[in-house]
Amino acid sequence: MSKGLKAEVEKCTGCQICALVCSATHVGKFNPSESRMNVMDLYPEPGEVRLNYCIQCDEHPCVEACPAEAIKFNDALGIYYVDKEECTGCGMCVEACPHDGCWMDPSESYSIKCDLCGGAPQCVEVCPKGVLKR
Amino acid sequence: MCRGVPQGSSEEVIKMAYGYTGKVLRVDLTEEKTSVEPLNGDWAKEYIGGKGLGARYLFEELKPGTDPLSPENVLSIWTGPLVGTMVPLTSRYAVITKSPLTGTFLDSYAGGYFGPEMKYAGFDAIIIKGKAPKPSYLYVNDGNAEIRDAKNVWGKDMFKTEELLREEVGQKAARIAGIGQAGEKLSRIAGVTSDITRNAGRGGAGAVFGSKNLKAVVAKGSLGVEVPKIDEFAKMAKQMLLKDVVENPDHAGLVTDGTPIIVDMSQDAAILPTNNWHNGQFDGYQGIDSDALKTRVFVRKKACFGCGIACGSWAKVRDGPFKGSSTEGPEYETLGLAGSNCGVRNIEAIVKFAEECDRLGLDTISAGAAVGFAMDLYEKGIITKEDTGGLDLKFGNEEAYAKMPEMIAERKSKIGDLLAEGSLLAARKIGKDTEKLVIHAKGSEYPAYDPRGSIGMALAYATSDRGADHNRAWPVASDAYGDGDPWSTEGKAAICHEEQIMKSYKWSMIYCDFYGVSAENMAMYFTAVTEQPASVDWLNAVGVRVWNLVRAFNVREGFSKKDDTMPDRMESEPLPTGKTEGKTVPRAAFDKMLSEYYQLWGWDDDGKPTKKTLEDAGLGDIVAKLDYLK
Repeated sequence: MSKGLKAEVEKCTGCQICALVCSATHVGKFNPSESRMNVMDLYPEPGEVRLNYCIQCDEHPCVEACPAEAIKFNDALGIYYVDKEECTGCGMCVEACPHDGCWMDPSESYSIKCDLCGGAPQCVEVCPKGVLKR
Repeated sequence: MCRGVPQGSSEEVIKMAYGYTGKVLRVDLTEEKTSVEPLNGDWAKEYIGGKGLGARYLFEELKPGTDPLSPENVLSIWTGPLVGTMVPLTSRYAVITKSPLTGTFLDSYAGGYFGPEMKYAGFDAIIIKGKAPKPSYLYVNDGNAEIRDAKNVWGKDMFKTEELLREEVGQKAARIAGIGQAGEKLSRIAGVTSDITRNAGRGGAGAVFGSKNLKAVVAKGSLGVEVPKIDEFAKMAKQMLLKDVVENPDHAGLVTDGTPIIVDMSQDAAILPTNNWHNGQFDGYQGIDSDALKTRVFVRKKACFGCGIACGSWAKVRDGPFKGSSTEGPEYETLGLAGSNCGVRNIEAIVKFAEECDRLGLDTISAGAAVGFAMDLYEKGIITKEDTGGLDLKFGNEEAYAKMPEMIAERKSKIGDLLAEGSLLAARKIGKDTEKLVIHAKGSEYPAYDPRGSIGMALAYATSDRGADHNRAWPVASDAYGDGDPWSTEGKAAICHEEQIMKSYKWSMIYCDFYGVSAENMAMYFTAVTEQPASVDWLNAVGVRVWNLVRAFNVREGFSKKDDTMPDRMESEPLPTGKTEGKTVPRAAFDKMLSEYYQLWGWDDDGKPTKKTLEDAGLGDIVAKLDYLK
């Protein structure tokens, strides 16, 4: 059973509040480009939204793909996370992920993905439409 | 492709208070050059952002009497200090220029996602002058700016343009504000479209883009916005989002229905414009109201950036002649002007009309009103099939009606070409006393609240700074929709005065109209973002300053009491049914409200701010720039 966030994407209105609180939590500013939750409008049907984030899949090909062993396991949460200090920014995990669950930070120096905020995911708390669940 | 990069390094840019990027992007399209300069920090303190700051820059930089469609007009796009933060419902942008529809100051707003993206790309404002030698678009990305060739998108509608420009700049998530064919062909009722369905619609800013050979502004930013003590800030914003937005009882109707809920209210109050304002009730209203939307075309709710309400409804037509058409909305104003006012009985036809307006870049209020006006002319035999390109333009003929946005935007047929100029200019060209059929103030078509059942709206429309408008004062809330007397002039000037002050500072921070936020909370948010002290008194002072500045701008352009008018039909043509049966707006009542209103503002009998009023508002420095005070 995956330990990642669950989303009822059909309820999502695309407001990006999850991305705002995520970037505030992780990088100390409001910047959806640095969010671990990527809300994408699917043009030309703006009614459709896609949520890209790490679902903590069982196969975790990102872990196998990482040559620096920077994607580590958090025993308490049962999830894999990127150790920013050890990530070399090679982008192999981004290529390996079949779910568009991780991507490069805008600085291109390391990859980012959902780490459940250490156990209390802020996006879940803030989503005004109850789309996201732990 | 790159023909211009910003001059001036970031070191030269003064560090502003939190919330501001501190940078203004200057674009000279004639010379195809861009440069970056520091935002005027003194003005930022006095005018905040959005409407206020934009008005101050425009007042300084636009030569009085400039033709709005000439290269000399100044076109600016503004964010504000709260844009891009977690303050709920503030992430909008303002297009500020001189209106080609009214000749007045114009500030037109859109939600969606473009505003925050432009700020994340590094700019508080983009100020555009001149005219590009060939069709161009502007690409802004993390402090850089390029003027690029628009040959692949010129002539294309906004749906296609967004798709192609995203590909061209290689940014799937770029946000785009631009024009369709209506703006390219200089229609004075062309808006600026962003996120496909969000429009800075009113006043013809799209034609200003077109006149400058500017197809679009494309923004992608990853610079973010910093605020002090972000952990505390996020906690506060989270709390406010829940208590003041999601659970706020004032927002309940917006959460469940959105603005279409107003159709039934207007039908009941008999102020729903019907068949070019010849009636205040529409016998087909049940085919175009919120229930019709929800049961017949609704797909899902859609929010703008940072909004927990999600008032927008994504709608799609399931069957019939307009099958497959889709739009976000239609909103109340569209249902009124492009629905009942055209005698259109089916929500599916309005979805099609709204989709066409989004695609082609037309304001649905003005376009709907213009089509209603043309239908009136057709039924009266003043225009015929020869003028309409063969269309049988009777009230309620949905097939003909649905073709009208394209006729207007592409200036097809005689009537399409005329209506592209807006209803008033069209009437003046047609002559034959048709001007009296146009319901407008300063050339801007009335929104969907008939003053004959809400007398204060006549004053609100007449005194709105960008021509008839419902987003500067909305007295209908407390009379026709509330407990007040809709036909009493009592207190109506005061409502307009107070609301215009409030909206002036609310639009300077670029809140959404639909956030029923208190002045106290607006001040609280402002301080939380900028660390600058703020109070309700200070906000009021800003509001008074901004409204007077804009009024002075309009006076400098030649506007005065003679232009603060109401169409004759409001007095001469009583409404026929329901609560407004036999009702009009007597001229004497209108004049009484107007005179009270001028007194409240401290303006002279001709509607011009006095020297003392300007000085008291902190506008002493503009006195010398106003000929009428010499």
